[in-house]
Amino acid sequence: MSQEYLEVFIDESQEHLQTLNDNLMQLEKEPEDISIVGEIFRSAHTLKGMGATMGFEDLAHLTHSMENVLDLIRNEQLEVTSHVMDAVFESVDDLEEMILDISKGGDGKRDVGEAVKKLEVLQNGEEAEASSETAASVEEKPEPSASSQISESFDEYERTVLVQSVEQGYQPYIIEITLDENTMLKAARVYMVFEVLEDIGDIIKSTPSADDLEDEKFDSSFAVTVISTAEADELEQRIMKVSEITSVTIEEVNVDQASEAEKDNKKEDKKEGNESGADSSSQKKEKPAKQDNNNDKKESAGKKGSELNKTIRVNIDRLDVLMNLFEELVIDRGRLEQISNDLNNSELNETVERMSRISGDLQEIILNMRMMPVDQVFNRFPRMVRSLSKELGKQVSLDITGAETELDRTIIDEIGDPLVHLLRNSIDHGIEEPEEREAAGKPAQGTVLLRAYHSGNNVFIEIEDDGAGINKDKIIQKSLDNGVVTEEDLEKMTDQQIYGLLFASGFSTAEEITDISGRGVGLDVVRSTFESLGGTVTVDSEYGQGSLFSVQLPLTLSIIDVMLVEVGSEKYAVPLTAIVETAIVNKNEVYSAHNQKVIDFRGKVVPLVFLNDIFDVPAKNENENDFYSLVIVSKGDKIAGLVVDSLIGQHDIVLKSLGNYLSNVFAISGATILGDGQVALILDSNALIK
Amino acid sequence: MASVLIVDDASFMRMMIKDILTKNDFEIAGEASNGQEAVDMYNELKPDLVTMDITMPEKDGVVALKEIQSNYPDAKIIMCSAMGQQSMVIDAIQAGAKDFIVKPFQADRVMDAINKVLG
Repeated sequence: MSQEYLEVFIDESQEHLQTLNDNLMQLEKEPEDISIVGEIFRSAHTLKGMGATMGFEDLAHLTHSMENVLDLIRNEQLEVTSHVMDAVFESVDDLEEMILDISKGGDGKRDVGEAVKKLEVLQNGEEAEASSETAASVEEKPEPSASSQISESFDEYERTVLVQSVEQGYQPYIIEITLDENTMLKAARVYMVFEVLEDIGDIIKSTPSADDLEDEKFDSSFAVTVISTAEADELEQRIMKVSEITSVTIEEVNVDQASEAEKDNKKEDKKEGNESGADSSSQKKEKPAKQDNNNDKKESAGKKGSELNKTIRVNIDRLDVLMNLFEELVIDRGRLEQISNDLNNSELNETVERMSRISGDLQEIILNMRMMPVDQVFNRFPRMVRSLSKELGKQVSLDITGAETELDRTIIDEIGDPLVHLLRNSIDHGIEEPEEREAAGKPAQGTVLLRAYHSGNNVFIEIEDDGAGINKDKIIQKSLDNGVVTEEDLEKMTDQQIYGLLFASGFSTAEEITDISGRGVGLDVVRSTFESLGGTVTVDSEYGQGSLFSVQLPLTLSIIDVMLVEVGSEKYAVPLTAIVETAIVNKNEVYSAHNQKVIDFRGKVVPLVFLNDIFDVPAKNENENDFYSLVIVSKGDKIAGLVVDSLIGQHDIVLKSLGNYLSNVFAISGATILGDGQVALILDSNALIK
Repeated sequence: MASVLIVDDASFMRMMIKDILTKNDFEIAGEASNGQEAVDMYNELKPDLVTMDITMPEKDGVVALKEIQSNYPDAKIIMCSAMGQQSMVIDAIQAGAKDFIVKPFQADRVMDAINKVLG
């Protein structure tokens, strides 16, 4: 199968898996809402079709079993119990594994026997006996039609009909029709043949009976007796127009012969014949008609379906290349702007301005193209939390806010696993057992809040639980035992820094090691993953009240809007998104509080941060004036004033990393090349706000 | 060269059919991803043939078929079904579908059905 199909297959399968998960969660919350089941059914159904087409049989097999169970639920023959949900969720897990395997180049094979069995048990529940019965009868039935010779016997009523029809100028035929052995939905095929025949004649009888044909209780061929004014050839042609018919054999019925052959039985049959004849005639007219009306329900469920946007799928690599090229362009644009300023040629100025405007728009599009809501990552958490809390016997509710917050695709791809780890950590170590919680005067159900929001050039993702919190003494003891810190270090550390030791390698405070989290390889891996993305992770906690893990991630933004400022002879860039405003204050308005210079700014006490002190910038030998230039920056609801020498202005810059050697420079998130070729460092204002 | 409107909510499936059709020199009139789109596009494009999936959001294939047939009794529509949808297929044929094909699709089966309907 071609790669192209496979990619689309994988993408769409994942979408459907997500829909399955979302809707199943929804269903669990509102088990009465049968319309959701329709949605779930449809996703499973589509997956089945796609899987079968790609030849992933296990996948098709499993989805088929799911479908059967869902169908029962939809028809209100099966109640949505937690038992049922567990089985269905388990199958979805299997499906996920298979799709994952396929996306990794595997063959998607998986032993689905157990999952299928569970589903079948659900499906059969009460009707276990009934279905095994039908299964048995199906196997017995094919025999009558196995003989290839056309032989049909008629009862008296049928003979009478035949004789009469001949008198009226009709010709009776016996037609044997063989379907292609690969035919699926045989009954529908038979139905089509019946329809063709009824068009040009009347069906007197069929073998097997119409009911058996409808139930597909036949091998591949069946016989029909038809009266028609058409020639045999025409009948044959018409029937052959129906697909999947291998052969049609037509014989004219010699009514006399038929009567002769049956004459002997005539007398015995006579009384019975009339009764049963009337019976069977009504049967004969019946086509293999529709079996259930429940399909109508699908329509109403369908309305909930999401609107489809027209999209094309583009490989992320191409977007990366586009981004890189554009970055180069932005640097040249800065240079061009500088040159045109210097030359002061009005036509050149005009053109450059226009170009800047267009490239600004272009930039926005390119960046937005790469942004995705964190929902992409968050949406699988409810499932995870559900199964985890069941496993641990804890009651946990997960509240997600800010799922629409957008992040660069490459970051989104990476944060899933570490976030899972943090969540597991909160549930495993944070939230207590229900009894323990009640004893502590908390509701039995623990709450984990998962929050995402923008701040400055960063996105914050926070995981807050109302669990046991972190036992500081235990951490201190443990980190001393493990030699992570010395007592000397500890004395200088703040509470937060001590909690931060959790992220040091070789740390596990759980009394017993579970397989959920805390194998001792946990949180330091989490930290390094976030750091490799240019982010940080911190933890705060109140013992007995819960803990808060906060992850700070860059928006990506390899091109950002900044305010350029000058400190001494060096230039720094402050991301515009972090800036509240700029201000100039008189030096005599600066007060000292707790060893910290602060100003009273618009009724708020704002701490000052002197950049020349922090970065050890040699002071310019200029006359000191009486004013400070300030850039007021914020992080969440905290603000600070950065003291600089002068404000240069707003620029678009390309964020370049400082490289591997300088990955941990305090309060610097990168560097950029300015239009005139100078390098400016980009401030990480979040690090400067305490 | 006959034109075909492909209706399926899975773009994967549409791609599959499209491939089979283009290899056999059919013109793709358009693609619709749900029943409503199918009805709208039929009105607009009047294709020679429609391949119609049954299970779709918004409006399922059988309903769409019925709507199209009521406006254009001569419309040639082939239903695409998965196993286990016997009753819906029969419903569709009753309502005027010319044939049906069953997923997983086999190219020759698809072509066989299409040629029979157009022939």
